[in-house]
Parts: sequence; structure tokens; C-alpha cells
Amino acid sequence: MENLFEVKDVSLRFGGVVSLSNVSMFQKRGEILAVIGPNGAGKTSLFNSLTGVYQPQEGTILFNPKDKPQLSIIGKKPFTVSDSGIARTFQASRMFNALTTFENVKIGAESHKGIGVLGAMFRGPATRRDEHTSDEHTWSLLEFVGLKDRANVIASALSYGERRRLEIARGLATNPEVLLLDEPAAGTNPSEKNDLAILIRKVRDEMGVSILLIEHDMKLVMSLAERLYVLNFGSVIAEGTPEQIRSNQNVIDAYLGTASEEETDNA
Amino acid sequence: MSGFFHYFSSHFESFRGEFWALFFGGIGSGIIYAMVAIGYTMVYGVLRLINFAHSEIFMIGGFSGFFVLKYGIGSSTPSGLSSVFFVILGILAGGIAGSLSAVVLERVAYRPLRKRGAPKIAYLISAIGASYFLINIAAKEFGRIGQSMVQPYTDHAVFTIFGAPIQMYTIIILIVSVLMFLALDRIVSATKLGRGIRAVAQDSETASLMGVNIDKTIAVTFLLGGFLGGVAGFLYAMNFGVLYSMGFTPALKAFTAAVLGGIGNLRGAVLGGLILGIVESLSVSFVNPAYIDVVAFAILILVLMFRPTGILGERLGRDA
Amino acid sequence: MKTLLTKKTLKFVGALFILSELAAIMTGPPGNPTHQFDGFKGSLTDPTSLLGLFTTSRWIVFFVYGILASLIVYLVRTKQNVVGKVLEAQRSVSANKTFRIIFFSALVILVVLLPTLIKDAFWQNAMVSQIAVFVLLALGLNVVTGFAGLLDLGFVAFYAVGAYATAWCTGALPLPALFGIHLNTFYAIPIAIALAMISGIILGIPTLRLRGDYLAIVTLGFGEIITVFANNLNGVTGGAMGTGQVPHFAIHVGPVNYVWGIPPVPYYYLTIVFVGIFMIAFSLLEHSRVGRAWTAIREDEVAAESVGINPLKYKVLAFAIGAASAGFAGVMTAAQSNYVTPATFTLGLSINVLVLVIFGGMGSITGVVFGAVVIQTITMYLIHNPPAGYQPQDLYIYIGALLVIMMIFRPAGMIPSRRRSRTHASAASGQE
Repeated sequence: MENLFEVKDVSLRFGGVVSLSNVSMFQKRGEILAVIGPNGAGKTSLFNSLTGVYQPQEGTILFNPKDKPQLSIIGKKPFTVSDSGIARTFQASRMFNALTTFENVKIGAESHKGIGVLGAMFRGPATRRDEHTSDEHTWSLLEFVGLKDRANVIASALSYGERRRLEIARGLATNPEVLLLDEPAAGTNPSEKNDLAILIRKVRDEMGVSILLIEHDMKLVMSLAERLYVLNFGSVIAEGTPEQIRSNQNVIDAYLGTASEEETDNA
Repeated sequence: MSGFFHYFSSHFESFRGEFWALFFGGIGSGIIYAMVAIGYTMVYGVLRLINFAHSEIFMIGGFSGFFVLKYGIGSSTPSGLSSVFFVILGILAGGIAGSLSAVVLERVAYRPLRKRGAPKIAYLISAIGASYFLINIAAKEFGRIGQSMVQPYTDHAVFTIFGAPIQMYTIIILIVSVLMFLALDRIVSATKLGRGIRAVAQDSETASLMGVNIDKTIAVTFLLGGFLGGVAGFLYAMNFGVLYSMGFTPALKAFTAAVLGGIGNLRGAVLGGLILGIVESLSVSFVNPAYIDVVAFAILILVLMFRPTGILGERLGRDA
Repeated sequence: MKTLLTKKTLKFVGALFILSELAAIMTGPPGNPTHQFDGFKGSLTDPTSLLGLFTTSRWIVFFVYGILASLIVYLVRTKQNVVGKVLEAQRSVSANKTFRIIFFSALVILVVLLPTLIKDAFWQNAMVSQIAVFVLLALGLNVVTGFAGLLDLGFVAFYAVGAYATAWCTGALPLPALFGIHLNTFYAIPIAIALAMISGIILGIPTLRLRGDYLAIVTLGFGEIITVFANNLNGVTGGAMGTGQVPHFAIHVGPVNYVWGIPPVPYYYLTIVFVGIFMIAFSLLEHSRVGRAWTAIREDEVAAESVGINPLKYKVLAFAIGAASAGFAGVMTAAQSNYVTPATFTLGLSINVLVLVIFGGMGSITGVVFGAVVIQTITMYLIHNPPAGYQPQDLYIYIGALLVIMMIFRPAGMIPSRRRSRTHASAASGQE
């Protein structure tokens, strides 16, 4: 069986600054994979390259969804990438603040349907049926992430932990095959962090959605991830299971060099 | 089709004849665009927004110089040292009025929004409102017909290059602008104020953590940009006279110049201004004069569509 | 006494002084082109009366007005937040469904009966050409600016397309008529709307890729270019003179022969029917998938793209739909006045429409209709009964000032959209 993601020799530069250099990696279907590395190592650049926000100058990124054709991501727009089954969250939660929790998720649920201007204006039976399906889907996802009782709250009024859940629900609403989580635990308290880990695992186990995760919090990563890549200065310096990574000399060196930064970040 | 080629070739003959005259004329107007473009670019650098009301700073500068000369000079055109005096007086009047109005503008129309963290569209609307207010109050107070400037000297060709006469006016703009560009470059790259501006332009949050006074830095940015814009308004008015709506077209072109050079980039603004001035001036030979403003605008759209970061790229601070 | 002389109070008094003197200049006599300072001088020194109590220089009177106004604001703010309570009450009342039904039916009846209540010829004409048509324009711009968050300063271009398309269909232009025959003006409606929508798409596809501030400038330039072309393409548009031969609407079906003519009342009914249609259609759209996608793009384009929304597609759609009602407004203007000239389609008009939307409340359909009716009525009143020294062009000064004031004090407008006010509230609490 093919891998879900196949990243080969990807390099990304901004002007003279190299953000990713020759990054190669893969993700197996159904895997919880993590990418770690010190600040500025290129983790978010990698995410943005995987989702079509950035366009790397070299290399290939292939995505193999189960029942859709293979997608070569470089050169595609983010919404096309989303269509093919990749959902993501953002480092600083980015929600639609003027909308309610429910509407935020519903947007994800209905974004892959056509534009439907006339349907919206005339409210035919097809439109109403569509709305009904999206509503049901939205409710089930809100229940899944535990935000059902917060459905009619304005998104900006949610707590950090709730926002993370909302983002996950919104991503899941697009029926993805993989969910990319950009530092989901940032800004959450220990108990929220714990709940989040449980939720992430539940997403994979119950929904069959693979997880690709960037995280600073080592405890969370090591307990969640089945395999890790370590990035430093835009290159992959190590790959392996949590145990292998823990004892890898390269990784220890890279992290010791920035240990002080890490602490301030996690504080 | 043949008619078109005939039109083109006959124009080309005369075009060769007047090429250099148009070229130097283009440099003259280009430098003025550059001065205004710097105002756009500096404000963009620190606030990440287009100061829509900059065209009115230009207009205010033009009118201030106009009034100083109108009430300062009697009925006869001065000569010699007194010409120099009045030119400097006009420049200072334009510059100071431009600075003051830019600072007031920032205080009234932008700062309250900045304190609130308003969305970007709110800034744009507020700026358009301020611009519209100023334009129309000028129309009400100063009349709706153009007036020509009382000249502080008698314009004449000083020398010729490639057969093209170089007017005193062109020489004055060149000297003034080069002096101002050099001064600005020094201020931005070598003084504490300039360091503040560059720090805010790169990352205003970090800059404020490092003790840079954001409010003051932004005010200074408007002050400097307003000075150049005001002086440009005066220099423009020396040639074209004053009118309440005089700022609209030059400012649109200056904005084009700023984008062309790379918004946020000071040297880019100068380069963009010169390129735009020359291209526009040369296109006089080929384009129906009624559509001449469309040329600059077409350039703007092409640049925005195909190279929105401009020739030198977007930045302010790193290499000024 | 000491507490009164703090830096803060001094600053406040200074600002109050400058603002009140600005207001004095705004409302004062105009300048004289040869003695330009006469206007300023007169604005500050002319004698005027303070609430009829005594007469003194304007600069003192306006400063006193400023002090009075700020005292009122101060009292209202400190005394248990009266404004907040009034707004709260309004909100809870308007949330009541029965009340809403009664209120809106009363409003509809009033709108229908209006021409019988107002007999004055000036106002009957203004109701169509200056109020109803501007409601249409504001509704259209609201889709673009309110729903999708795109600042279009050349919105007047679509209005122009609608008007010129009408003239074209009916054979009023130098350009040979569309389809070679002079169509009845009614047929111009779908054609003009379609052409306006197409021009929205054509204009939108290249420009809507741009960032918001660039979009504003580019649309501003397009609006100006349209005027340049309309003025200069004599063989197509009739040049600066335009055309004065657009026919009135007419129905000739079987025994029915009805021609709309000089009396504005039939036009009034025709226009408000369309206003109603556009209001309902846009409101359905706002609460549909399309409206939610627009809000998503407006709030956070990157996030919207990440859930699969194609921003360009939806922005172009907003342009096209907004252009539809502007195009229809163009038909009404052309048919009712019989004239289409470039002088109508100025940058000033675009900004005028923007003010209606901002004042009423971006994104709020009720709000923009309210804004358009109120502001246009005041404008018309000032033209019909000008106060001493008022010139029609002075209006633009007030419009400019109003835009700034709204952005500072009430960015969501007088009747905020529920979604929009949330945006501003969340921005205020620093959570973007």
C-alpha cells in the first residue's frame, strides 16, 4: 500500500533565506506522526508547504487519498489541497470570530459543495436537504469534540482549549483523510492538554483520520506520536520511534543548543 | 491597420526629435512622484497601510507655498538672491504645512483606530473620509478654479543636453530632491529616530518591548513623509499651479511608483518614481493625451498583478 | 481646581477647541478665489447667535457648542450608561418576533402610502431618483463591502454600466442599438443587470487577487477610467453630453397600454418593488452557505482557504451580485431622467454610496436601507431648503467627516449587523 504523504527533496527559500532544504519524509496511512524541532527549524514552513500555502522551489509532495486521485501538492492552492482531503489547524488559532461555534464548523462541512447562489435565493428542496445534512454533520462533530453546549457561542468568546477543539472540528468537517495540527497544545493548561491528547487519539481511532502533528510540548509528543521526524535548520536530522529519538545524539545536541529558548516557550 | 502604422511612424519621427526633452521632463515629474511615494512607503512600513489621505498632504503643501509666495512677493518677479530666498521659503512652507497636517491626520484619523486594534478596512475608510474632507474643505475655502503660482524667479533654459534645454525649474527640483533624499537616508539609517522607524517597520511588537515609543515613532514617520509630500506639492504647484483636487492624480501615480519600486522600500520609491515619470513622459508621443493618466494606471495594475512586490522588493529597515 | 488642570484635561480642551473650530469652518461661509482667507476669517469671526440667547463671534459660539456637546456625552456616559440601556432595549424589542412583524408591516404600509402623504413635486421626484435609487446602490455595495469585506471605491462603474446598457438597448446611444432594434425599456432590465454582473466578473477576476488596500486603489482608478472613456468615446457613449433620449418604461400587452412618464409616482412603485426583491434575495443569500463563506473570507482568508473555500470565486461572486443591484439602479436612473451622462458617475458618488453603507451598518441590510434613506433625505432637505451659506458641494465635507467619525466612534454603524458587530467587538478585546 502506498504511503499517505510522500515528500521528496523539498527545498523552500525566501529570498536568500533557506527555510527547508532537501526535506524528505513520508507518512503511513492511519499513523500519528509528529514533526519536532527547535524554533525556526522550519516546522510551520513544512506545514504550509504541505497545505499549498507556500510553494517550495524544489522537490515533490505527493498525497494519496483513499478514494480520490493522487495529488501533487506543490503548485496547488490551499482550497484544492483541502478538497483532496487534507485538513489543518493553525499555530495561533484562526477562527471566524464573527460567527458562532456552530457556524464555524458548518462552513467546513459545506465548503466542498458548489456555490449555490440560486439555491440560496430560492431555497428549493435540494438546498434544504443539503442544509439539513450539513447541520447534522456539524452537530455530530461538535458532540465528538465536546463543544455541543457551546454551539451558539461566538467563536471569539471561547477559551484557548475550546478554540483548539473548534479548529479540530472545523477541519474534520471537511471529511479529511489526514489532519495537520500546528502546535495544538500551545496556550492550553495541563488539564486541557490532557483532554486534547485524548481527543487527538480518538480522532484517529474512531474516525480513521491520520494525524500529522507539530508540537513543542515533548511530553505530549512522546506520548502521542508513533513516529517522529526532527527538523533543525530546515533539514531532517533524525527519524524514528519516540524511544529512538530520545536517545539520538543529533537530537540531543540540537535541543541542548536551544534549551533556554524551549523553556521560555513552554512557560 | 495601415492607418495605425502611419500614425505610429510619423509620431516616431517627431518622437526622436523630442526624446531628450521628454526624458528630462520625465525625470522632473518622476522626482516629484518619488517624493510623494516616499511618504506612502514610509507609512506603509510602520503601519502596513496605505495612507489614502497623502494626496491631500501634497495639496496642502502646494497651497501653503502658494500663499507664502503670493503674500510675500509683490507684483514683480524677484531675481538673484531674493529668488533663492523665496524658493527656500516656499519649500519650507510646503514642507512644514505637510508635516503638520500629516501628524494631525495620524492623530485624528488613525491613532484612535490603532488603539482599538480596528480591522484594516476601518483604516482605509477613515483615511478616505479624511481625504475627502480635506479636498472639499479646500474647494470651499480656496475656490474651485485653478490658480497659477506667483513665480519666485524667471524660468529659463540654463543649458542643453543632447539638444534638450534644461530649465531652471528642473534644476531646482533636482537639487532639492537630492538633498532631501540624502538627508532622509541619513535620518533613517544613522539616527536613533531612524532606528526606531526601522525597528517598528520590522516588528512593531518586538520594537515596543525593546522600549521604542511606537506612538512617537509613527508620528515621526508621518512628519517626515509629510514634509517630503508637502515640498513635492509646492514644487509641483510652481509648474502647474494650485487647485483643491491637485493631489489626486499625482498621488495615484506616486502610489504606483511606490508599488513599482516595492512598497516599504525607500530606494525603491525613488527608482519607481523616476521610471514612472520617464515612461509617462515618453508615452505622450504615442498616446492620446486624454488617456495619458490611463497609462500610469495601466502600469499600476500590471505591476500589482504580475509583480506585487515591485522591482526591489518589499521592505523597510533592512537596507533602508 | 488642581484636578481640573491636569495634562489630560488640557489636552481634551485643546482637542475640543480645534474640533469645534473645524466645525465652524465646515459650516462657515465659502472663501473667495482671490482672497482665499476670507472664508476662514468669516467662519471664525462672523457674528452668530448662540441658541438665540446672544450674538457673538462664531469661534466662541462653536466652542460653547463643543463644550455643551461633550458635557452631554459625559453625563450620558457616567449616568448609568443610558445609551447602552437604550440599545439593549432596542435589541430585546427587535428580537421579539411579533413586534418585528408588526413593525415591518407598518413600515411597508408607510412606504406604499408615502406618495399619497407627500405631494410636493420635489420630494416625489427625490424619493425615486435620490432615495430609492440610492437604496439600491447601497444594497449592492453592502454585498461587496459589508458581506465580503471588499472596499470597492469604483462601485459607480456598475451603476454606469447599467445606465449605459439601458441607453444602448433602447437605441439612445450613437452606438448602434443592441440587436439592431430599439427595445422597450423593460427588456433593458435583464440585459443591464447581466451586463453589470459581467463587468463585475471581468473587473473582479484580475483585481480581486489583490490585497484589500490595493483593491481599494485599483477600483478607485477603474472608476475614474470609466469616466475618462465615457467622456471621450464620442462615437460610443455620446461623449461628455451623453444622451437624453432614453425612453420611459411602457407596457403594451393586449388591451393594457401604460407608459411611465414624467410623474415620478409610478417610478416610485416600480423601484420599491425591486428594492423589496433585492432585499429579500440578499438577505436569503446572507444566511446561506454563500453568506457564511463571505463572512469566513472577510474574517480570515487563510483559514477560509484551509477549509476549502476558494476566496477568488466568492469575491468575484460578491462583485457580480453587488453589481446586479447597481446595474438595476442604472436602468431606473436612465429611464426616469431619460438622460445618461458621464457627469453622474463620479468618484464622489462612489464615496456617497459608501457613506450610506457605513452609516447604516456594514453587512446589515436593514442598516444600509436605513442609512440610505436617512442620509439621502437629509441631503435632499439641505438642497431643497438650504440654510444660509450652504452650497450643495459642502455636502462632501460632511460626508468625509462622517466617515472618520463613524470609524472612530461607531464602526459597526447605526444598526449593526449581528455578525459585523461581533467582529468589531472581538477586535476591541484584542482577540483577532
